[in-house]
Amino acid sequence: MTTAVSRVGDDGMVASPARRVGKLHREGLAAYLFLSPALLFFCVFLILPFIFAIVLAFSDWGGFDLSTLKWAGFSNFGDVLSFDGTFVKPILVNTLLFAFGSVFLATFGSVLVAYCIDRLSFQGFWRVLYFLPVVATVVAIGNVWKMMYQPAGLINAVLNKLGVNSVGFLSDSSYALPAVTVVHAWASIGGAVLILTAGLKAIPEMYYEAAEVDGANSWHTFWSITLPLLRPAVLFVLITQFIGGLQSFALIIVMTGDGGPVNATNVAAFEMYQRAFKFGAWGTASAMAMVLFVIILAITLLQLWIARRRGEETS
Amino acid sequence: MKRRGRFPWFAYLVVILGGVAMVMPFLDMVMSSFKGPGEYGVIPYKLLPSSFNLDNYREAFSQLELLRLFRNSVIVTVSVTISVLVTSSMAGYALAKLRFRGRAVIFRFILATMMLPPFLLLIPTFLIMLNWPLAGGNDILGRGGDGGLTTSLVALILPFAVSGFGIFLMRQFMVSLPDEMLEAAKIDGANQWQTWRLIVLPQTKPVAITLGLITFIGTWNEYIWTLLISSSDPSLQTLPVGIQLLQSFLDPDRTMPIVMAGLVISTLPVLVVFLLFQKYYVRGVVLSGLK
Repeated sequence: MTTAVSRVGDDGMVASPARRVGKLHREGLAAYLFLSPALLFFCVFLILPFIFAIVLAFSDWGGFDLSTLKWAGFSNFGDVLSFDGTFVKPILVNTLLFAFGSVFLATFGSVLVAYCIDRLSFQGFWRVLYFLPVVATVVAIGNVWKMMYQPAGLINAVLNKLGVNSVGFLSDSSYALPAVTVVHAWASIGGAVLILTAGLKAIPEMYYEAAEVDGANSWHTFWSITLPLLRPAVLFVLITQFIGGLQSFALIIVMTGDGGPVNATNVAAFEMYQRAFKFGAWGTASAMAMVLFVIILAITLLQLWIARRRGEETS
Repeated sequence: MKRRGRFPWFAYLVVILGGVAMVMPFLDMVMSSFKGPGEYGVIPYKLLPSSFNLDNYREAFSQLELLRLFRNSVIVTVSVTISVLVTSSMAGYALAKLRFRGRAVIFRFILATMMLPPFLLLIPTFLIMLNWPLAGGNDILGRGGDGGLTTSLVALILPFAVSGFGIFLMRQFMVSLPDEMLEAAKIDGANQWQTWRLIVLPQTKPVAITLGLITFIGTWNEYIWTLLISSSDPSLQTLPVGIQLLQSFLDPDRTMPIVMAGLVISTLPVLVVFLLFQKYYVRGVVLSGLK
């Protein structure tokens, strides 16, 4: 609306077509000057590395001398995806379990918490409380939870009080991945609660009033009004957190150091990091990055497709 | 408010139980930071330390060299935040208010930049920094030196200096600024630079605080890239990386309590900034959810 109005205003001010072209030309020059720092940055730190990442995935190269770089075709992908290697199983499987697990826990938890907070007083206080882990550094979160998981830590103390024997959460390979998954979910609930709260506030009050007139209890109201109307926000949280979970490995470095015990907590992005910066295997590492990127890209496109379809539904 | 219904005891139960789970780790962190030698890591577990003295904090400052880490963290965080704010508001202004050939394409490109996951660019960006021409002893083709740009704090600032999300956020906000105001400035003889600097920038304060806060907290807590860059040059460590890596140099009997003291100190600045401006941060997260 405003642009349409202003365009009429612009035209009214311009005396002749020639002057108008001159003005637009000058505006274009100014625009590109304003954009130049950003565009220059994206050329050097986005387009160039992106092309480089693709080239590396298809090449055989170690060390730092570019002249020794050789074309390797799909052999890196063959190595990475072969079933007798470690990348597909357990590492890629771990990545999916980590992402699925933490998304499931965080989404379930955040829907429950956001819905409950919406019914209380001091909503701002509660939301800030749940948001604290998002503000803290991963080093703090990782070390504190590592400490709490120790035999002499808080969690085992609570288990012992309940009559359960101590569990070596991070040293036992069957508990280690679930243990880090829980921490990742714990840390991401707060962000999801905020987004879901915005979704909850957008549900018109009259639906709740109508439900009350019809005699629905709060359980009913939640299932037949809140959840269906919250679906877009829940879907957004699900997909973005899943994408985040697939590429997250800072927590794993801090909590387990090397993805151990014996690859039990190793994930794809961490394996890529190790292969590249510990062993200098740029080609293999880049092929791993590319495999993970393709998975993430597919999910991102799915999200865009869903968003677009939803837009068509409402319009 | 009908959505609240009768006394929501169930909601209170859920939120308070969850709240305890959210706060307990932080409480454990603070309490452990006061535990003396022989008090940490013993069974039975005790939450409270025997006394609240600041020994571990003193040790953290001397053994962890917290001041050096703090200095690096401040330099990097402030530089990145200022750079992101300036470049985002400039590019956002062009995309929101100026008419030029290629605007739609560039805007779509900016949106696409947000879809590239950081881990994909980690290896090539590192190699680019390493082979940066005419830096760290490199020649004009980026060869020969030892370390290129990776040997200075610039390495921690430059790759984060522009944010696609920031440009998007600024552009969305500036679109809603009334055109009449800009026209008036033009009639008064202001050029584009003056219009941006004197008319547009002051109006963007709320969104600038949101973006500044998100950038500040994200940069302060950045871990992976800093870990990588400082692995060959420890003088570039920031607080999170330094505290994590220096653990092995500490007096083993007291390691974790000193680390916890360091972590309390490194968490405090972001916590204070967040609590002061949380209204803006919350709005930014919600905005990013609606993009």
